Amino acid sequence: MDPLQEVLRQVTGYIYPNEVELHWGLLVVVYPYLTGLVAGAFILASLVRIFDVKEVQPTYRLALLTALAYLIVAPLALLLHLGHPERSFEIFLTPNFHSAMAMFGFVYAWYLMVVLLLEIWLDYRKDMVLWAKKETGLLRWTHLLLTLGATDLSPNSLRFDRSASRFITLIGIPSAFLLHGYVGFIFGSVKANPWWSSVLIPVVFLFSAIVSGIALMLLIYFLSTLLRGKPVDMPCMDKLASFLFYALVVDFSLEMLDFIHRLYEAEESIHILSQLVFSRLFLSLIILQAFLGTVVPLILLGSVSPALRRKGILNLPEELRRLLYAGAAILIQIGIFSTRWNVVIGGQLFSKSLRGLTTYKMQLMGLEGLLTSGFLLLLPILVLLLLIHILPPWEESEQHVETPAGD
Amino acid sequence: MTQQSSRLLLVAAVLIVGLGTARHFLVPKTFGQRGHYRAAAVDAIEKLPIRYAGREACALCHTEIVAMHSKARHQSVSCEVCHGPAAAHTESPADIKPPAPRTRGYCPLCHGYDPTRPTGFPQIDPVTHNPVKACISCHNPHAPEPPHTPEECGACHGQIARSKAVSRHAQLACVQCHNTPEKHKVTPRLVHPEKPRDREFCGSCHAQDARSPKEILRIDMQSHNARYLCWQCHYPHQPEGD
Repeated sequence: MDPLQEVLRQVTGYIYPNEVELHWGLLVVVYPYLTGLVAGAFILASLVRIFDVKEVQPTYRLALLTALAYLIVAPLALLLHLGHPERSFEIFLTPNFHSAMAMFGFVYAWYLMVVLLLEIWLDYRKDMVLWAKKETGLLRWTHLLLTLGATDLSPNSLRFDRSASRFITLIGIPSAFLLHGYVGFIFGSVKANPWWSSVLIPVVFLFSAIVSGIALMLLIYFLSTLLRGKPVDMPCMDKLASFLFYALVVDFSLEMLDFIHRLYEAEESIHILSQLVFSRLFLSLIILQAFLGTVVPLILLGSVSPALRRKGILNLPEELRRLLYAGAAILIQIGIFSTRWNVVIGGQLFSKSLRGLTTYKMQLMGLEGLLTSGFLLLLPILVLLLLIHILPPWEESEQHVETPAGD
Repeated sequence: MTQQSSRLLLVAAVLIVGLGTARHFLVPKTFGQRGHYRAAAVDAIEKLPIRYAGREACALCHTEIVAMHSKARHQSVSCEVCHGPAAAHTESPADIKPPAPRTRGYCPLCHGYDPTRPTGFPQIDPVTHNPVKACISCHNPHAPEPPHTPEECGACHGQIARSKAVSRHAQLACVQCHNTPEKHKVTPRLVHPEKPRDREFCGSCHAQDARSPKEILRIDMQSHNARYLCWQCHYPHQPEGD
């Protein structure tokens, strides 16, 4: 069959020739999903440091390491999508102040170097020095190297660690907001695309990031505790579930606000966008994002967690409660991934003529394919395992009961 | 100053000096002179061999063709769009001849049917439009005639026309069965011709009491599958034999 004819079979209505094929594929969906998890995990960590939420202390270090693991992997999605990863450093050598995407490299570097690495270093320095004294071999040298030679454990020095770490977290919150708000900004500022162009997009991205980050930490904390054969800290799980519920309420409200605003404004694009939602995006938006990813977790968390009533509306036993939390967290992950899909892929499925729709055909193999994206979603977990091996996040939380860390 | 601060400052200094050093060695010297790019790239591009001669160069020798072409409908299509880069030909006209596309593959790049092309742009279906014949055997690419409405249905419906030509219905004109609005010839996909809607239409030749030559096959319209239209079973463009 004529290749053109084959392609045209996927098209409905009138579209321009260069719109048949999508330019941003699955890897560009994976990227905002991963950065969202970074920002969300960090904001959860800041709850402990800045807002002094004692219950979620067991997740503090784990959240920092998770944020780092996901932050390391996230740019890989972009590098694979763009090709020529060896040229990527040039955005730092020749900064272009007129390009939002180029400047984002600096936001990313700032967040990695100044916020995340610094906070982890300050938090772990004391432990690394102590570990290095007991250890031998490669791990000892790794820990010694990571202390950068700062082995002073005097009370003054430890006080500096704590206050500096608190200060970094304080900078970190707006930085995390900036990191993911910026990802939303990239989409929201594309004024030619009515699906993207909205000032609400950065805010919606940010809150969906917080939702996905807390849900991920709930899952990782739950699974890691089970795998280590330790008792699950239920007040921590309850608090995480409550925060997840609050964040989800805000996220859902913002999305509905965006939706109602578009509907009431009823710009000329409204017809094609409603066609898009009810045909191409029906499964990923209505079923996965809105119903399974938002409404069901809202009902689950609202009725089971202590967010609305101290013992939860249903007052379920602990075992069932944490299973339901984990279930809600998994559904939220699917929902947030669908959100990214609907933004990135959805925004390219309709024609600028506003009179036709195309189709996204996902590849299986190849750089832009399903397997690569699956690998990129798995890779942060592997990086996290390595980080946990070098910087175990558990000991601090176990010692915390005996030695009052905190300020 | 605490030990940590001094170590962190050291790391920061290493990074800043490293970035500065990398910038010194890796950023091309001419970067940023004229804009956010390497200015020397312009000189490098300037030195590339020139492959295209431009329409003016063609006009120096091919005066008649260029005169014809510049008034015709392809006037905005430059010579080298079809004939390829011709700078070498202008250097040694006798030795290097630019190619001319003579096969059917080339013209449909612009004139093959594609719904995303503007309405009114001359488009054909390369499969059914006079198969095998080279485009230039009918169309003069230097002065193509404006598209005219097809005189025969076979211009587009070639496959049907060829089947019908060897069938028992060969003598029937297409419009005898298909009521065809004039506009179908101009906007074939928007305005469609009709098909016979009742049995009586075929019956006007094939019914027992039809006033048609007696060699024509007769059918008892009352008893012969009265609930169906004739063309639901019989393909009228090549009806079954005896």
